[in-house]
Amino acid sequence: MRILLWAEFQKLRRSNIIMFTIFATILIAVIVLVSGITGQLAINSAGWYMTITQVWATMFVLPAVIALLGSYMICREEQDDTLKSLQLIPVNEIKLTVAKMTVALLFSILIYLLLFLITFLTEAALHFSALSMAVFSDFLKMYLLEGIGVFFAVSPIIALVPYLKKSYWLALVLAEVYSFSGLFMSMSNALKTFYPITAIFGVSGYYETTIQSRGCSLGILVLCGCISALLLKNLNHRQKE
Amino acid sequence: MNDTVIKTKRLTKKYGTQTVVNKVGLHVQKGRIYGLLGRNGAGKTTIMKMILGLTPITSGSAEVFGREIGGNAKRIYSRIGAIIETPGFYPNLTGTENLEIFARLRGTAFPNAVKNALEVVGLPYKDKKTFAHYSLGMKQRLGIANAILHDPELLILDEPTNGLDPIGIAEVREFIKALSVEHGKTILISSHILSEISVLADDIGIIDQGVLLEESSMRELEKRNGKYILLQVSDIPKTILILERSFHVKDYSVQDEQTVRIYDTTLNMGEVNKALVMEEITVIRSGICNDTLEDYFKKITGGEGIA
Repeated sequence: MRILLWAEFQKLRRSNIIMFTIFATILIAVIVLVSGITGQLAINSAGWYMTITQVWATMFVLPAVIALLGSYMICREEQDDTLKSLQLIPVNEIKLTVAKMTVALLFSILIYLLLFLITFLTEAALHFSALSMAVFSDFLKMYLLEGIGVFFAVSPIIALVPYLKKSYWLALVLAEVYSFSGLFMSMSNALKTFYPITAIFGVSGYYETTIQSRGCSLGILVLCGCISALLLKNLNHRQKE
Repeated sequence: MNDTVIKTKRLTKKYGTQTVVNKVGLHVQKGRIYGLLGRNGAGKTTIMKMILGLTPITSGSAEVFGREIGGNAKRIYSRIGAIIETPGFYPNLTGTENLEIFARLRGTAFPNAVKNALEVVGLPYKDKKTFAHYSLGMKQRLGIANAILHDPELLILDEPTNGLDPIGIAEVREFIKALSVEHGKTILISSHILSEISVLADDIGIIDQGVLLEESSMRELEKRNGKYILLQVSDIPKTILILERSFHVKDYSVQDEQTVRIYDTTLNMGEVNKALVMEEITVIRSGICNDTLEDYFKKITGGEGIA
């Protein structure tokens, strides 16, 4: 498994998708900052920038980017025609898929950590005196959980695109619609608990909610992971056929 | 000791109602180059894929090193190097980076495996050019490098000279020949180019529309299709008697009830004809023939020639 993980990271060298992911992460941070400054929003209150950036990122940008990255990794063996070379080694296809999903999860976490770093440094530049260790750790925990949560929420899309034998760019479109819909789902208490994108906020602690609701949200994200595992298992089976 | 490295028995592949490979029986001998010759779409790649376990077999069986691949994949694949169709690599990585991934996944024990493999096929080690910028010929060479990376005993090469320029084709041909002659590798190579197979192969299998029409050694095929005297007569047994007794002919083959081929072309045909006529045998046709392999291919496939 260690070699498979190493290989997956190697395969992403010079990848435009990685560049696109980093660019999108920086872009959302810049957009929120510019909106905060020009739109007379509460940029002057400490914590506002870190709070709003993660919401905007999760609602509008990062699920689509992570879904794109994950689908690209899953689809590429077939698209680059490397699958038969791997089969002739032979590489265990289930382990290969697990390695790819693990790398996608790690990237999801890394992207949110990058976003956290950008927002924290910006907050520090804007109002250093208002920041404390508690603020740092609370936001770090929130960003980390969102990184994990977003991966699980979009994992069915990551699995669905190769399953449908479509281009990985479809994952970007589907995930964008999926995450944007979260905006409407967040208007109802029941829906925001069960809709995967808004469930992330329940798990990460952005929404103040009950333990039961948090448990339900966590359950939904785990269910998303199970659905994607099922789809990927069927995909492997179909590729063998 | 069993010297057959690949053996297929009534190997069949069907897609729905269409039979693409029909009861094929291949026999690839150890240390020899077996050329699988057929037009595009004849079923060569499908046969190779079935042998390698990359596509399910509809019926029949394929054994490699005396075993079927299913269940023995790990053990058998470590002894095989293969290129099937176009070689696939990661376009954003260099040739060296691509091979390093496959070498590590394979667990190749040789420390300089990547460097050596690239040297053999004439590609630079640690080059900065990514696979996406490779020419078709370079891609093909990298595919061959990947196939020989772990020093396998058996190479299965599906149209390995596709896309190579004439010099590249000659180089790869030399290299394949050297692998067999100098290193004792067993090679199954497919091609739609007759001249390529005729230069390289020790044994040949001719396939058309999924059916193996002929399997023989190249020497035997050349003998059958080289220069010979064709004699069409009214009485074959009597003719043979005269040829053997009067002219001491030993190298001949009877084609049908009227035709005999004599492979000794130095024979004085005037004398032969005279002797036959004196024995009241009607000579319908007599003359020197020179069939090419292409003629033979046309004859047995019942159609057009091949490149």
